[in-house]
Amino acid sequence: MTAMTTDTVTLTGVRAVYGTRDRPVTALDGVTTSFASGTFTAVMGPSGSGKSTLLHCAAGLDSPTEGIVTIDGIRLNDLGEDELTRLRRDCVGFVFQAFNLVSTLTAAQNVELPLRLAGRRPPARDVAAALDAVGLADRAGHRPSELSGGEQQRVAVARALITRPAVLFADEPTGALDSAASRQVLRLLRALVDDHGQTVVMVTHDPSAAAYADRVLLLADGRVVDELTGGITAAAVAARIAEREADPVGASRHAAETTEGLSC
Amino acid sequence: MLSIRRSASAFVAVAIGVALVATATLLLASGRPQVPDRLAQAAVVVQSPEAGTEADSFVPTRPWSATAAAELTSRLAGLPGVAAAVPDRTFYAQPLVGDRPSAADARREDAHQGHGWSSAQLGGLRRTAGEPPRKAGEVVVDRALGLRTGVPVTLLTAAGPEPYTVSGLVDAPGVYVADEVAAVLAPGVRAIGLLLAPGADPERVAVAARGVVGGDGQVLTGDERGALEPRGDARTRWIGMQVLTATAALAGFVTVFVVASTFAFTIAQRRRELGLLRAVGATGRQVRRMVYAEALAVGASAGLVGLLVGAALAPGLGRLLVDVGFEPATFAVRYAFWPVAVSLVAGPVIALLAVWSASRRAARVRPLEALREAAVEQRPIGRLRVATGAFLVAVGAALSVGTATADEARVAAQYALYAVMALVAGATVLAPAVVGPVVRLLRSPVRRPGGAIGMLVRGGALTATRRTASLAAPVLLTVAFAVLVSGMVRTTTAAYAAGRADNVNAGWIVVPDGGPGLSDQAVAAAGGTALLPTTVFRTDPGTLPENRPLTALGVDPAGFAAANRALTVVAGSLNDLRGEDTVVVTASTNLLPSEAYELVFADGTLVPLRVVAVVTDDSLPGDLLVPRAVVRTHDPSALTSTVYVRDRIDPPVGARIVDVATWAAEADAAEDRLVWLFTLLLIGVSAGYGAIAVANTLLLAAAGRAADLRLIRLAGATRRQVLWLVTAESALVVLIGALLGGSVAFAGLLSIRAGLAEQVGVPVDLAVPWSVIGGVVGLCLLLAVVASVLPTWRLLRH
Repeated sequence: MTAMTTDTVTLTGVRAVYGTRDRPVTALDGVTTSFASGTFTAVMGPSGSGKSTLLHCAAGLDSPTEGIVTIDGIRLNDLGEDELTRLRRDCVGFVFQAFNLVSTLTAAQNVELPLRLAGRRPPARDVAAALDAVGLADRAGHRPSELSGGEQQRVAVARALITRPAVLFADEPTGALDSAASRQVLRLLRALVDDHGQTVVMVTHDPSAAAYADRVLLLADGRVVDELTGGITAAAVAARIAEREADPVGASRHAAETTEGLSC
Repeated sequence: MLSIRRSASAFVAVAIGVALVATATLLLASGRPQVPDRLAQAAVVVQSPEAGTEADSFVPTRPWSATAAAELTSRLAGLPGVAAAVPDRTFYAQPLVGDRPSAADARREDAHQGHGWSSAQLGGLRRTAGEPPRKAGEVVVDRALGLRTGVPVTLLTAAGPEPYTVSGLVDAPGVYVADEVAAVLAPGVRAIGLLLAPGADPERVAVAARGVVGGDGQVLTGDERGALEPRGDARTRWIGMQVLTATAALAGFVTVFVVASTFAFTIAQRRRELGLLRAVGATGRQVRRMVYAEALAVGASAGLVGLLVGAALAPGLGRLLVDVGFEPATFAVRYAFWPVAVSLVAGPVIALLAVWSASRRAARVRPLEALREAAVEQRPIGRLRVATGAFLVAVGAALSVGTATADEARVAAQYALYAVMALVAGATVLAPAVVGPVVRLLRSPVRRPGGAIGMLVRGGALTATRRTASLAAPVLLTVAFAVLVSGMVRTTTAAYAAGRADNVNAGWIVVPDGGPGLSDQAVAAAGGTALLPTTVFRTDPGTLPENRPLTALGVDPAGFAAANRALTVVAGSLNDLRGEDTVVVTASTNLLPSEAYELVFADGTLVPLRVVAVVTDDSLPGDLLVPRAVVRTHDPSALTSTVYVRDRIDPPVGARIVDVATWAAEADAAEDRLVWLFTLLLIGVSAGYGAIAVANTLLLAAAGRAADLRLIRLAGATRRQVLWLVTAESALVVLIGALLGGSVAFAGLLSIRAGLAEQVGVPVDLAVPWSVIGGVVGLCLLLAVVASVLPTWRLLRH
């Protein structure tokens, strides 16, 4: 239905509420946004701002309480658990902060895992090419315990890309890495966007990581409160965040949430 | 994704389980009736009609009378292909060596059996020395007794010790007398052996013989002749079968549980990996299939190992079973096909059953769990699990009621076993729900001296109730089983002894010593009131089953009435029990005094009797009473089982004297001993298993807790404090398991006690063998502490 649009992922009025009925926690409070094809978006915000929930809802890892999510024009709300799994397998790639790899499998086996799960046996050269693309062609036979943290993350990127997904989601991909390894992973993500037109959505709390993106979404209290496009630098992002923290909007939001909690 | 380290414990558990199943089934398949050596040369044997009853009551067949046997023998001898038809007579005769029955082969029933010399041809027995017995007073005995030909020997018979002369020796157990003598001692015949002419086909002869015999017996050839083995051997083997079946069933059952809890544990530890798989595109079904495949691989390989181990162990265990009396001396292990097939299938089946619940949980792992740091379990217990647990507990309770109300001890014991299985399964399933309250209950003693450690132990047990429950499950299983089974056996034994003692009004009791019964001479020497039991058969067209066997007691009515407190006469008078045609029956026969009652006795004759009195069913330690002389007339080899006397006397030859309490406790001593051995065997199997399971799960748990413990260490705990923590944790787990298991078993024991008290009519004390229970709990505790402290100690050293 959205064949004409270039938005790979759209979110419309997404609300996500957790916790018990007596003490609800609103993680997302009516988020409407979209991620255009071939762009690199960074999602930022303080702890508890809902940035991880936004990523999980957008990726179909979690179902929102309200609102519509589409990936490649497919409404995730309409899908059953198995269809959702297949969608994740075929259209979505993931890179988590840590524990991305199955420890008993080699790097190459980890990379081909999604295709194996889909019942396909990828040609060895595809796997080799994927590892080569992340600069790890010589590490194919190593197990995760024999790889550095940065190398593990790059294997995770290679695995995420083996299915040629419509969109790659990364949740704090550099959170557990030192700055050199972080730079390598971020350059790799940037190159995927520039060279292959890959759509990437990355959650981070690090302004210097966000500086690699084309667009930065700022979240606070479950809402998109700001957006930066063009000329993004770490300093600019940090400045904008500091600005928002001085803004009193958050406090008023908080009061609203408390009232809401009591009314239920 | 199969990890050797992770599956090792499941592998060991399945391998041991299959080894036990393989051993038990191999032995089970080996325990087949043996054709007695005495009849080995008779290609076709005609057996008197089976006494229609359950296969496990081991009563003899209904004999032919002397005339019927003679007529049948001559007709069979005339069949084409038959060289000779020989009636085989069996009676009680025991050679005394040095004035006492030879103790060498007291357990072999055929050692104190006598036969006519013509029976020797049926077994192809050859004399090793001397001459066959030709006249009364001559006997051929077993060479193994160490007697020489021509020397005098005393044979203990039903009448008493009798002087004989050894005329010859054979290389087989038993004694052989002249046929005329045998015909007097054993007028009834239970088997006629056919010796075939050279070249005759046994099957064709059997067909012809069936035509002659008709419904008046069974024609047996080949292995069917095993039916002629001594009934005592059949009974011993039946007990052995029960032991082996129970061991195999228990091993399978326990293995499923142990492996299930191991799998449940590995799944809980792998949540993050499973979440990752789900995130990168594995469907729930794929995860489930993967878990099944792993279980299948573990089960199949462990099953193969278990089979090999079991096959290697079977011969040794078989010899052990013979030694302790669970199998007759003729038992030997044979490697049949079906036990091998069963064992090969058992491994994968056990593993798949065990992983069923874990796989459901694995499939429910959500992709987001790959991101969670330490997943705190949300719902301690699912709805399906509660329903399953409640159902199992309900079944267990129903079976307990069945135990308490069952009429027969054997049925009650079976109910009790199933009841405890259901209760234990239910308790294991419901354990996570119970762990919280139990931990809170135990809080006060742990809190004060424990301090920080107490807090950590409690916190861990309370938040991860499922983990705590799966750790406690094997302890629960082991303790419940040990308490229930040992308590049940002890209580039952004591209850029956109390009931028996309560029924007897006598000072002392004379019982046989080293033989199957007392001779008439010994009875006369003892004085008092004697019981002379014999098996009789009801053959009325209306009775079911056909040829129903009954135990008739030959008594002197006045003495019996005085010695038996349980006796309650409903109609008629016991004093009329005299003369050749009187009988006292129980109320359940629905007969009235002066009605007619016909019975076939051991000599095969049909004797018309008249009812003179009716007593309540629980009045008699048998089915009916007849005058002692009637039994003696129709069963020359009947032996007296018991003589009640008032004062202590010197026991006659082949007898000893005991007080009532001892007699009551001893009455089933041989069987009680077997049952107790059996019980210890079962408890040993389950306790060994439980201990392995406890160690297994704790080792796994220790590996999974490394990060936690390091954190606690960083938070300022000393190494010793951490070691105390894990010790306290495992002790708590064992305590929870022991408490839950103990209470389940105790509930079962109470219902059993109620049932027994009803049955024996006296109050029954609960007999709980604390040493067995203490041993089992101690073993679990020891292994639990070792299995958690050792890996922690190693961990903390780095």
